Amino acid sequence: MIMALESLPKVAATALIVLYSALGTGDGSLSLQTKSPGRTFVRPASHLRVERPLLRRRAPRYAANRVLVRFRPEIDPVYAEGLLRSYGFPAVRRIGAIGVYNVTTAAGVSVTETLAMLRRNGDIELARPDYRARLADVPNDPYFLNYQYALWNRGGVLDISPEIQPQMTAGADLKATRAWDITHGDSETVIAIIDTGVDMEHPDLAGKVVSAGRDFANDDMDATDDHWHGTHVAGVAAADTDNGDGVAGVAWDCRILPVKVTDAEGNGFYSWIIDGIIWAADQGADVINLSLGGDVDDPFLEDACKYAHDKGIVVVAATGNDSLSGVLFPAAYDSYVLAAAASDYDDVIADFSNYGPEVDVAAPGVWILGPAPQWYVGTGNLPYLFASGTSAASPQVAGMAALIKSAKPELPADDIMRIIRYTADDINRTSFPGRDDHSGYGRINMERALAPYIIR
Amino acid sequence: MRAGNTPIRRVLVLCAGLAVAAAQVAAAGLPIKPLAAGLSYENFSRTVVWKGDEASSKIQAGLISARAEFGLAKGIVVGVHAGLSLTDFKDVSFTALPISLQYDGSPLKGFALGVDIDAPLHKFSDFEIGATARFVYSIGMSKTWPLEGFAVEGEARGSSNWLEAAVGPRLSYLFFGRVVPYLEICARWLRADFEMSETLEDLSGAEKKLVRGDLQLSFALGADAAVTDRIVIEAKAGILPYTGGVNGLVSLGVLYKF
Repeated sequence: MIMALESLPKVAATALIVLYSALGTGDGSLSLQTKSPGRTFVRPASHLRVERPLLRRRAPRYAANRVLVRFRPEIDPVYAEGLLRSYGFPAVRRIGAIGVYNVTTAAGVSVTETLAMLRRNGDIELARPDYRARLADVPNDPYFLNYQYALWNRGGVLDISPEIQPQMTAGADLKATRAWDITHGDSETVIAIIDTGVDMEHPDLAGKVVSAGRDFANDDMDATDDHWHGTHVAGVAAADTDNGDGVAGVAWDCRILPVKVTDAEGNGFYSWIIDGIIWAADQGADVINLSLGGDVDDPFLEDACKYAHDKGIVVVAATGNDSLSGVLFPAAYDSYVLAAAASDYDDVIADFSNYGPEVDVAAPGVWILGPAPQWYVGTGNLPYLFASGTSAASPQVAGMAALIKSAKPELPADDIMRIIRYTADDINRTSFPGRDDHSGYGRINMERALAPYIIR
Repeated sequence: MRAGNTPIRRVLVLCAGLAVAAAQVAAAGLPIKPLAAGLSYENFSRTVVWKGDEASSKIQAGLISARAEFGLAKGIVVGVHAGLSLTDFKDVSFTALPISLQYDGSPLKGFALGVDIDAPLHKFSDFEIGATARFVYSIGMSKTWPLEGFAVEGEARGSSNWLEAAVGPRLSYLFFGRVVPYLEICARWLRADFEMSETLEDLSGAEKKLVRGDLQLSFALGADAAVTDRIVIEAKAGILPYTGGVNGLVSLGVLYKF
């Protein structure tokens, strides 16, 4: 973290608030140019699928040969210890400060049986298993703990710059660390980032891209980012994680398929987006992220989303940043696309986030740290920047979808979409209880979606 | 329910047949054990690995049954019992469901039906060696749990069935007359299933966990004690060792001879 603190001014210098505008043409017209999807992958993603990865098994929840016992306050410790010895326990150790005995169970007698026996004794106030504790899976990426509140918000100040230091609410996050105890994702699960391209030489992305991708703006097979937006989005979804460098991505081990559908200014046509969606679907992507959109409803764009959805792909898109009623397209295609709104470090819906009945869920989208091309931030600066927008919320939802797909590859896209919706936290329940047009079902909760629900 | 009815019907037919056979034997005046009826309690645990799992988990079953024993020719005793079962499952996870579930609930209720046969084979000095076999089938009742904390209302529904068959030799010591202690070694085969389904609005799924023929040996000491000419107490306790631990079994029955 020393490195992170030392370099903070540099990070701050590159901090940006980016409120994305729609990428569609102003008049809603469509490009007439047609592109051949082609197939130049040496190793297409669709050919890389292997057997389903196993979930990480949990160890037994408590020690198999130990219980913890507390006697009623009036019981003399000497008597208590003698009583425990009389049961034939091979070892009894008193934790004096709290008056608890750590008891090793007799050979051949289970913890359940031992507890049942002890609980029958009226002198014993409490007898419990010695439960197992574990470390939540925390990646070693240096900016994770201090800056990536979206994944794990421990409260305190988000120290972006001397002028920008918002106070955060602990727990206003995706509960990512507990979900990572279950799965880090599968390297064969591919998230297509349909955007401005991806900086494929970025240290947090170089090892994660499936191929050079496809550029529909320049009609070539090199989806290198000439903007910065797609690099940031890709990193939020699936930056190289636990690599001791930079930031953590939501989907640790999932990989990225770069698809460029805008020019260097961030402008694109629906036709490029349509081509990008279909190309990504044909390449075997499992999840498609669209941190972009336009104001105009277009049946061809909807058909492209349906095409991907019907192939079992989870399509996620940003709702837009106009502070207006009206979700952008393709996010508004409710049957085929998950629409992601933006919340902040206090679990409050961002004021710029578009709203409407098509909003499915929210994810943190204010001051989100992610990778950026070195050429963009300038020599001497760290290749990372803070950005705000539903564009930053959407890849977090896409990353979560990729983790679910990795853990349960047999689930259809509709079920993954439902899991993401129904496991969300209703963050604005005081104003709008239940599903609403601002946060949808609520801020996504990765732990609830991936960790087992315990039936008691 | 079609699968559940078949064993019930079979047991009922078996009971009727045994009663007729016992009556015929009694009418013939053969010196055999008469018809007896009573109650029995039984508890056993099994550490199993569900199909597809890597880790083991534990099944603990308790049965309270009405029991009848029929004496047949050549000293063969056939017992049938029917009652309630309580089956406790520990550390069973359903990870193929859309929302993974881990069962840490109270024991599941069920109906239990069973048949056992004791057949004397050879008697020498004060000892008798025989064979014992047993078959128990528990048909679980389904139970529902609310799934709380989600954005929509949901519930999980689970039920479990299991079947245990055991066979092995029994060495009895006849010296004491009214009390007959014995040592019994059995190979015990268990088949179990635990089906869990969940529904959260339009999200639903079902997963069935299976144990297909888990086999363990049991070593048990027991005794049949004739408290009076009419009342017999049957008790048994044993262990089922497995790699890494030991399971247990205990049973107690009180029978009235007619």
